Amino acid sequence: MSMIEFNNVEKYYGKFHALKNINLKIDKGETVVLIGPSGSGKSTLIRTINGLEEIQEGNLLVNGFDLHDPKTDINRIRKNVGMVFQHFNLYNNKSTLENVMLAPRLVLKRSEEENKATAMALLDKVGLADKAANMPSELSGGQKQRAAIARSLAMKPKALLFDEPTSALDPEMVGDVLDVMRDIAKDSSMTMLVVTHEMSFAKAVADRVIFMADGEILEDSTTEEFFNNPKEPRAQQFLSQVDHK
Amino acid sequence: MVTLGIFDAFTPQNVQYLLGGLGVTVGVSVISVILSFIAGSIIGIVQFERIPYFSTFVGTINNIIRNLPLLLIIFFVYFALPKLGIHLPIFWATVVAMSTFESSMLAEIVRGGLESIDKGQFEGARANGLTNIQTMVYIVLPQAYKKMIPPIISQLISLVKDTSLAMGIVLSEMTYRGQIVYAQNSTYIIPVLIAITLVYFLLNYGLSLIAKWFDRRLA
Repeated sequence: MSMIEFNNVEKYYGKFHALKNINLKIDKGETVVLIGPSGSGKSTLIRTINGLEEIQEGNLLVNGFDLHDPKTDINRIRKNVGMVFQHFNLYNNKSTLENVMLAPRLVLKRSEEENKATAMALLDKVGLADKAANMPSELSGGQKQRAAIARSLAMKPKALLFDEPTSALDPEMVGDVLDVMRDIAKDSSMTMLVVTHEMSFAKAVADRVIFMADGEILEDSTTEEFFNNPKEPRAQQFLSQVDHK
Repeated sequence: MVTLGIFDAFTPQNVQYLLGGLGVTVGVSVISVILSFIAGSIIGIVQFERIPYFSTFVGTINNIIRNLPLLLIIFFVYFALPKLGIHLPIFWATVVAMSTFESSMLAEIVRGGLESIDKGQFEGARANGLTNIQTMVYIVLPQAYKKMIPPIISQLISLVKDTSLAMGIVLSEMTYRGQIVYAQNSTYIIPVLIAITLVYFLLNYGLSLIAKWFDRRLA
């Protein structure tokens, strides 16, 4: 069974047709990178998967539940699907540790002891054990993003969505965040969908590359195929404009 | 005695009478502050949540009330409601009028405070699995109230001052009683007004100190 499945999905913002006839299957454990020029609908697509954007037509199955069915409890899906945002969206009123512990406590009712141990282990994994007591405003961009990744992982999700996780970072911060993401991708049970402009990351980590433009999926191929032999002219043009060597 | 000292106004009876008025002022203020803080928060959240029809309805009523003079609302509650069969004693009529008016002012502050919170805070929490209510209670409201402390306190300070408007329906609060006292002797006017001024100042300065304390604790 696939983890995420789009069947003829259409999304409109008023009259603007943001997603056009999206058909896409992502299997459990796959790492898929979504690329394309800005305004192509990549972020919109990834945000439909946890219901931050509604779809108007088609169906969208996440972990077997149909997001377009009004009977589906969206919170049940969000419990299993984490999201990492471009602008981190850490809770500004909570310490780094509390950011990681809040959702497991409220949503999963994890015991305080276990919750703290898990959170500290995760912060250690992303290199922030010494920042546990700090507030988000005291962290650098790269640290914030790593804390946000730890927050998502604390829910033990089946899938993780990354919406341009390094776009808002200073160049010297990008590497640390990508290292953490590479580490997560190694876990064969984790499904990852990543919107990014980091071509080297895509090449190194992705099983598949999806290329989007103007709200459509133009190309869906293995990473090797996409970078060495892109079929679509739009994809060829895009690759020639970004430095991916 | 011909020497009219400024303290002549403050005979034991007069002081006792004025303090009784202070009690009424403080009573109306404290009850109205609590009621309007609760009601204002709820109305503000309802407006912010944009519930179809309901939020518009509440918002419209709120706008009407906010744009009326407080004195008119006091008159309405005390003089007009009895004609509709609702009789309230003068103290409670004042509390109801003050709370209604101040709720609508505070609702606007609460709505504005919520609007000022970055949309990313909501999305981060919702994507993290928190329900709408958990998102509000644990993430959004604490941040919003922190930002709202200064405008809320200045609104509450006006509330305390505006209790004096209830002399329009002859509520025996502090300002009204002051008037009664200096009606005995015109030399009392200045000392009594100065005394009342000091009391209002101390009340409201106290409020602003509490606000500062909260602000520091939450920072």
